[in-house]
Amino acid sequence: MHDLKRKLKICKSVAWVTIKEYFAYRTHMLVSLFVGPVYFAVQYFIWGAVYRDGGAIAGIGYEQMIRYFGITALIGYLTWGSADWNLSMLVRTGRFLTFALRPLHHRFFALSQKIGHRSLAIFMEFLPSALLLIVIFKISLVPAHLGWFVISVILASLIHFFIAYCIGILSFWFVESNGLRMAYWLFDSIFAGFLIPLVFFPKWLQFIQFFLPFQYTAYVPAMVFIGEYQLGGYELSLPAIVGVQALAALVMLAISELMYRRAMKRFTAVGA
Amino acid sequence: MIIKINKLEKTFTTYKRGSGFKAALKSLIRREKVIIKAVDEISFEIPHGEICGLLGPNGAGKSTIIKMLCGALFPTGGEINVAGFNPAKERTRYVKEIGAVFGQKSQLIWDIPPVDSFSMNKAIYGIETAVFNERLAELTALLDVAEVINKPTRVLSLGERMKCEFIMAMLHNPKIVFLDEPTIGLDVIAKANIRDFITKMNKKGTTFILTTHDLEDVELLAGRIIIINHGKKVFDGSLEALKSELGRKKIVELKLLMAAEKIDIKGVSVSERTSRLELILEVDMDIISIGEFVSELSKQAEFTDISIKELPMDKIITAIYKKGSKA
Amino acid sequence: MEKFTKLYLKCIKIAIAGAMAYRLNFILSTLLATILNALFPLVTILIYNAGASFPGWGFHEVLLIQGIFLLTNSLAALMFDGVLWSSMSHIREGTFEIVLLKPLPPLSFLIATSFTPEIFGGVVAGVILFSVSLSFTGIAGAIAIFQFLVMFAGGFSVITGLYMMMAAMSFKWVGNSRLTEIFDSIMTFGKYPASIFPSAIRGIATFIIPVAMIGFFPASALLGRAEGVMFLAVIPCLLFMLLGIWIYNKMIRLYEGVGG
Repeated sequence: MHDLKRKLKICKSVAWVTIKEYFAYRTHMLVSLFVGPVYFAVQYFIWGAVYRDGGAIAGIGYEQMIRYFGITALIGYLTWGSADWNLSMLVRTGRFLTFALRPLHHRFFALSQKIGHRSLAIFMEFLPSALLLIVIFKISLVPAHLGWFVISVILASLIHFFIAYCIGILSFWFVESNGLRMAYWLFDSIFAGFLIPLVFFPKWLQFIQFFLPFQYTAYVPAMVFIGEYQLGGYELSLPAIVGVQALAALVMLAISELMYRRAMKRFTAVGA
Repeated sequence: MIIKINKLEKTFTTYKRGSGFKAALKSLIRREKVIIKAVDEISFEIPHGEICGLLGPNGAGKSTIIKMLCGALFPTGGEINVAGFNPAKERTRYVKEIGAVFGQKSQLIWDIPPVDSFSMNKAIYGIETAVFNERLAELTALLDVAEVINKPTRVLSLGERMKCEFIMAMLHNPKIVFLDEPTIGLDVIAKANIRDFITKMNKKGTTFILTTHDLEDVELLAGRIIIINHGKKVFDGSLEALKSELGRKKIVELKLLMAAEKIDIKGVSVSERTSRLELILEVDMDIISIGEFVSELSKQAEFTDISIKELPMDKIITAIYKKGSKA
Repeated sequence: MEKFTKLYLKCIKIAIAGAMAYRLNFILSTLLATILNALFPLVTILIYNAGASFPGWGFHEVLLIQGIFLLTNSLAALMFDGVLWSSMSHIREGTFEIVLLKPLPPLSFLIATSFTPEIFGGVVAGVILFSVSLSFTGIAGAIAIFQFLVMFAGGFSVITGLYMMMAAMSFKWVGNSRLTEIFDSIMTFGKYPASIFPSAIRGIATFIIPVAMIGFFPASALLGRAEGVMFLAVIPCLLFMLLGIWIYNKMIRLYEGVGG
């Protein structure tokens, strides 16, 4: 109990410091208020043209499709993070040492940082963009089930964090991890679901996504928002898919802990 | 004793790597192992309340020792005990007891004022608010940075930043503080401030272990000096002991009235001729006293200027390094 | 001009040699960039695979638009991406004076010295996508090729203008690495058949920020579907580039005035 209270205190403090840190660059976040709606507008017109005769494509109707792109854009603001880059910078500059000498798990520090950064994003990116989508494009942003959606977004944000953290840990072995990060970014941009709903992919590729972490960061919460989830021919209820998502979060947590331990072992062995 | 290490060892295994594409490919298949002994059976004990300087040329193993003492590096062999802990094994509990400043690795957050970074460490170390406030006031007053800590770190001068690094490392009142090159790159005034601060904190009971290249740091701060070369301890003792290591010698700078006279005094050797009229002599005080030397000298030569100095530290240390390499 | 060309060629050689020093890394990152760029028409592919389409445009015709878009974009990036990033970092670090001290116009100096060979991957992907889709659609004739070349140059000048404006903005919006996102998003309007956008947006994309020239217009020309309006749009393209260069140079003069 005492430990939890202490951890909460640390988290609050680190998050608050991070907010102050990024507040200096708050205008950078405003870029999102331009870019987000522009990309959404392009999607809006593309799908308007594609759906010109009505009906459904890959089992998705026009209305749903537009809501899908609206909500994935917004989810992105809630889940995005740069733990991979931050960690690899710490390792490359040797500043990771100063964390090894402080009484806390660096992953906890990094997560607290993300919580701070995203809290700022809620006000600078998420809320204004949501308002723009509602006012300009008249999109309904009421989730099918608020509770499951909130849980799903939190899980998505956590999973995104664990993946990024694992990529960051790789810099303990590879000094130049840019290529790796690029490869991750490539898969993420295709299979997270930001480009297009995953049901557009071939069935086998859809099925594989259950065992990769990417869909859990965007596609799953977007479908939970819409209220019906299906992929690879499987239709799952909201509690079921959120359960799977929670499992994915646990697996990613375990992988990140395992990698962290290996990295620490290496770090304390060679001091690199 | 706050630090006890016994036959401490650290070896690194690296792989030989040729340059170029072919060698890189080849190294994927078969790699040649190279074992480097960075720290080789070093033992010492440091009592509570000491300032101990670790000296040595680049790559001698100083940083490796400091990192092992901090718990950031696992020793390959030997025993290590700091403040009752085995640092690397009990790291999470141990690090609360220590502070560390690494000259090149900042703990401060670049874009915000140091005071915010401090409050973060307050939470991380779980420092009570009242204790924190008192401690912060004390440290800022000692370092004269009460106003500086409210400006963004990025606009601070190097000296101001280093002072804030010290505060960051000492807010939780560590028993022992490790400093890796704490005065590197600082100007004379900032160096003096930092040294003054270290001395004052030491008087209040903090033990300091520092590595440095700056011999002034050693002369002004360290009561105890340990010199490392090629992973081995080559000297361990007080500043006085270090100075008498090469015998009790003094340096005499001489300006002659007339050139090229031979100076032949027992226990005196010419170490350098800077010009026709200028000489530097080394006088062995075990053989001849300064008084005898001066009276003897005035018989042999006429001089316009004379100055008598201590043997410079760098000379002593270079000699010890050389001795260490031969051993 | 001759001096500049000589310098540029020399710098390209140096840049390539530099990249080659880490051959494995260079090959890998170029390969990855190629794959990344090759996936650029993914959404279009998936749409047509699902049996849907853009009205009036066949699959390979849309791919042709995107192939030209990618090719123009990466050719321009090869030249100007470095200018943008080195302007940005010089301004952030407060070292732009170094550029001003060189015996060359600042813009020429930056173009010459910041060639980015890593972008080759995009050029390769662009060439592949362009030629593959062209092999399916065919060319409407010799005149079409001429028309295409004119519009291709127009598209190139639009991107040049965009790069200049980005670099100019970085003087005011110091350290904002997200600037490029703004321009990337605007350019997206050139990636698809303009007929899918409402007329107001089409007007803007033709005459004000003529991004339609980056992909859609030249593709239309090759397919023999060029309209008079498209040729007219080459003029705003050139104006756009000149405007970009003018703003950039103005920013440099402002910077000189303030002295950093």
